[in-house]
Amino acid sequence: MTDLTNAVNTTERLDREEARVAAADAAARGKRGASSIRMQGLRKQFGRDSIALAGVDLDIHAGEFFTLLGPSGCGKTTLLRILAGLEEADDGQLTIGGKDVIDTPPHQRSVNTVFQSYALFPHLSVRENLAFGLKMRGVAAKAREAKVAEIAQFIQLGDLVDRRIDQLSGGQRQRIALARALVCEPDVLLLDEPLSALDAGLRSQLQVELLRVQKRLGMTFVFVTHDQDEAMVMSDRIAVLDDGHIQQVGPPQEVYERPANAFVARFMGHGNLYRIHRRDGSRLSTEIGTLQMDGDSQGELVLMRPETLDLKPGHVEGPNHLPGTITERLYRGSHAEFRIRIADTTLQATVNNRGRRLPDVGDEVTVVVAPEDLVTLSE
Amino acid sequence: MRKRTLKRCLTAFWWITLVFLYLPLAVVVLFSFNASNSAASMTGLSLRWYHQLLGNEQIMAAFGNTLVLAICSSVIALVIGCLIGYGMYRHRHRKLGWLIVLIYLPIVLPDIVFGISEMAFFVQFHRLTGLLQPGLGTMVIAHVTFQIPFVALIVYSRFVGLDPTLFEAAKDLYATPVKRVVHFMLPTIKPALISAFFLSFTLSVDDFVISFFTAGPESATLPIYIWGAIKKGVSPEINAIATLMIGAVAIAAAISLLFSRKNQHSRKRQS
Repeated sequence: MTDLTNAVNTTERLDREEARVAAADAAARGKRGASSIRMQGLRKQFGRDSIALAGVDLDIHAGEFFTLLGPSGCGKTTLLRILAGLEEADDGQLTIGGKDVIDTPPHQRSVNTVFQSYALFPHLSVRENLAFGLKMRGVAAKAREAKVAEIAQFIQLGDLVDRRIDQLSGGQRQRIALARALVCEPDVLLLDEPLSALDAGLRSQLQVELLRVQKRLGMTFVFVTHDQDEAMVMSDRIAVLDDGHIQQVGPPQEVYERPANAFVARFMGHGNLYRIHRRDGSRLSTEIGTLQMDGDSQGELVLMRPETLDLKPGHVEGPNHLPGTITERLYRGSHAEFRIRIADTTLQATVNNRGRRLPDVGDEVTVVVAPEDLVTLSE
Repeated sequence: MRKRTLKRCLTAFWWITLVFLYLPLAVVVLFSFNASNSAASMTGLSLRWYHQLLGNEQIMAAFGNTLVLAICSSVIALVIGCLIGYGMYRHRHRKLGWLIVLIYLPIVLPDIVFGISEMAFFVQFHRLTGLLQPGLGTMVIAHVTFQIPFVALIVYSRFVGLDPTLFEAAKDLYATPVKRVVHFMLPTIKPALISAFFLSFTLSVDDFVISFFTAGPESATLPIYIWGAIKKGVSPEINAIATLMIGAVAIAAAISLLFSRKNQHSRKRQS
């Protein structure tokens, strides 16, 4: 009997909690108008021959979770620092929320950053760290306290606010750094690889939390990472950078499935790129064999994503059937990765483990690919 | 067995070192409470020499000079050294080779060379301009000169130990340049500043050679007074002065050490 009453009470409490959270969210969204960002011809050079940004044009929509993705040294952090005002562009235009901010110093921009090292002030308590931005803006002590309490509730910091900075773990510091930036209610929140110092479990937990916070606030987030999995999980849109140039901008699915060029394809983890020798209408003669595509195509490379491939035992004839031999097998539980020797080249294939027998090393197999899954692209 | 003997020897060595270091000080302290004015025998305990100190105008003047000199020079050295330390930090990526040597030089230069050059400079300067008559003013300048490198190095090492993105975080969180100094930089390096101040203070109180060469007739400090008085023989009065100085310097050094520990500690925690 008591158990039942308890259960009912708990459900009621949860319902009430949910309603309260929804109301708080609506209020939060109403207060903060999200801002769009427009970059035109941004250039930045360090020293004589190190070009960090070679003329970047980019539009980031209001309320978007936007990711700058690329290898180290591609210019993504420089771009973020220019948005924050911590770095000056050599040339180009930058507007945030319709305002030209290219000459605005960082302390006058309504933009806040979550730093990779968190950069929490060691001489201040957690509470004082959270209130720092508000204090610098001249917000009165009473109002500061209220806002800090509000954000602490929102990020669910609990009793962390009463700790000293040196008593916090990496994940806790990360959340304090996030709260310290959010409490200022900036037009745009910038995040510089904020999760890279954390271990895998904590990382995916915080990815979810970060995403939830962004959706609830409807704030524009610009996120920098070199991890394509992280970028795909989090982002509404991704810009892939290399060598100071934007290689592709689009939603995760588009960037992953239709990479604009070989760099993007390789960076998104695709290895199955083959040179096209000859084109005969929609028939491609490639280094791995003859492939049939849907319609016309451009570019000198063809991409076959490992997870779109089917493996049939033995050698079977047919269109888009490529015969080969398995040279390597990596068993990963939910799926297995195969390396298959075909013609004079190798191909990677991923097969879901559905309980059927997985082929072994040395087995002869035929790789089958659907015409619509083939993508052609240029170097 | 042999290990234990070795350990005992080392322990004994440690105690012998301590005795060598502190026994002479202990003798001075003990004789400052001597009831008789003989330096050879203790006849009983008394505060007689301390009372006599208070009545001696020369000593009280020297004490005042020492204090004024130490406080003024330490404050000035703190301000200048702090700016230099920050400058060294800001431009640490540039090649500053010879500039750094210039900062270190006063630390390694023999005091007597330093004192004589200061004196020669002040004499010439006074001859040409009529300013800077030898006295407390010149002494403060001389003391500031040798205190600056210590302050600069302490402040610099504190800045170097900080995460450089903290400076950017302060900018990012709407702090204007002035607010960055008041709300971020000064509170962050506070332990280093306190430590540097008390180190400067101790150096100033300790100094005899440089003070001697730059002092005027009216600006004798305690070390200068002692040096003068000692020519007439070691009086119990001097023991009392020495005891007070030992106490003062020990306290200042302890505070300096305490805060430099705190400095290192917070740096370690941060990394």
